[in-house]
Amino acid sequence: MTLASETLTHEGWAEAVEAYIDNGWTDGLPVIPPTAEAVEAMLAAAGLRGPEELGQIPTRNITVTAEKAAVNAVMAGCLPEHFPVVVAAVMALLQPLANAHSTTATLAGAAHAVIVNGPIRNQVGIEGGQACLGPGFRANATIGRAVRLVVRNVFRTVPGVLDRASFSWPLRYSFCFGENEEFSDWTPLHVLQGYDRGDSVVTIMSVLRFLQASEFAPESEVILETISETARLYGMPIDEFVGDARGIVVVIGPEHHRRLLDDGWTKEAVRQTLWERMTKPTVRKYDAMVNLASPENVLVVAAGGPGIAQSQLIMPHLAAPTHEKVLGP
Amino acid sequence: MTLVTLDPTSSQPGSTFTMAPRPATLKGQTLGIIANGLGRSEIMFDALAEQLTKWDDLGGSVKVVKPSVAVPPWPEQWESVTAQATVAVTGFGGCGSCSTRSMRDALDLEAAGIPAVCLVHVALVPAVQALCRLVGAPDYPFVVVDYPYNPTGVWSEDECNAMAAQVLDGVRARLTA
Repeated sequence: MTLASETLTHEGWAEAVEAYIDNGWTDGLPVIPPTAEAVEAMLAAAGLRGPEELGQIPTRNITVTAEKAAVNAVMAGCLPEHFPVVVAAVMALLQPLANAHSTTATLAGAAHAVIVNGPIRNQVGIEGGQACLGPGFRANATIGRAVRLVVRNVFRTVPGVLDRASFSWPLRYSFCFGENEEFSDWTPLHVLQGYDRGDSVVTIMSVLRFLQASEFAPESEVILETISETARLYGMPIDEFVGDARGIVVVIGPEHHRRLLDDGWTKEAVRQTLWERMTKPTVRKYDAMVNLASPENVLVVAAGGPGIAQSQLIMPHLAAPTHEKVLGP
Repeated sequence: MTLVTLDPTSSQPGSTFTMAPRPATLKGQTLGIIANGLGRSEIMFDALAEQLTKWDDLGGSVKVVKPSVAVPPWPEQWESVTAQATVAVTGFGGCGSCSTRSMRDALDLEAAGIPAVCLVHVALVPAVQALCRLVGAPDYPFVVVDYPYNPTGVWSEDECNAMAAQVLDGVRARLTA
């Protein structure tokens, strides 16, 4: 396989690691030096050739190739079997409604959640249970990191230059998790989006706010009210560009999930009720309407581990959640 | 042991950019305004058009406000501006993604043969310079607004008018030969 990237020559592994940091090509942490052999293994795992295009950012005249995504996936520490997920995530991020130019350059410092559904989760070890939103899981950590390195190196979104985040935040190191589809018979997110249950699908969600909805009361109605109230702390205005596609992700934790199951709530009923409560008109400060076009725009995902009675809300920047099927060789 | 590795970055083009020909004066010209709707910047743009009409005998203006701060204008907005405008301003470049997108709007206008200038806050200068380099126009000039005006367009009406007066000379200089 012929690769197009320019090459660098180093005297050993340690020198290469330092060179990538010195060139400003990392997130501040050391990376795996990307050799041609490692990049070719990535491409083979996804059945892609190096020049194949994953998408574009027209504002920047940037075309993202499979090769550049693979180089950054190697750097992030991905295994070849992770790369099809990285590819799907990058392609989802490059869909127009993901608004990649806006969400990666913004003062607000938006991050991106990579949410994975389908069989690929268990095949490559993408965690959706205990502590799944944090460190400790290679697939989660490296897939999320690979997306961020693509944003930095291929999208050319360098902090202080094109990336204008005033503060930025830790979610920008890596943020990838799977839905815990096995916890109950709730319909998985990707099936609700129209995919087959046997498909593997990545959802990309921009993250302007990441909010915890804690509710220890046992009543399902109270739990749903607390989740709605948490979203309404900030609300969500209309954005003409995103239009009716704007959405919110609600990650239902197991303690809330159990209560809802005990009371017979389906995921479809949960999103319907949350939508009705979130979209009530604004009545006061810190109680703002979450302007969502329909219940389908409340993306409910089951994840997390037992213990605390919490769910998590992911509120977007100026972008819609986008989805891309994971394809293999 | 020698180790050969690959560059992870996307390639950058060479400088291929050409500015549109400038008129000698703004007299009789039609000013296109591609506004991104940031804060109260639309009021500033209206004041700028008034000032140019008063002092430069501008022939008229056509303004569009984009559907989101950091996206291109809708196709019909683009058509409206490019069909009528003979010179143009874009902005306000006061946030990370909107400043760079407004700069791209100005460059697209230049490519369409319409002399343009982007108004950019000093806090966003590194971003718009980076965007210009990325798209092959590293030396493209723009007008910079400094503090005490805040970057995100949270301005009083008086500040909008004062800013319009302040950028007037710069806009005139960038749009004329």
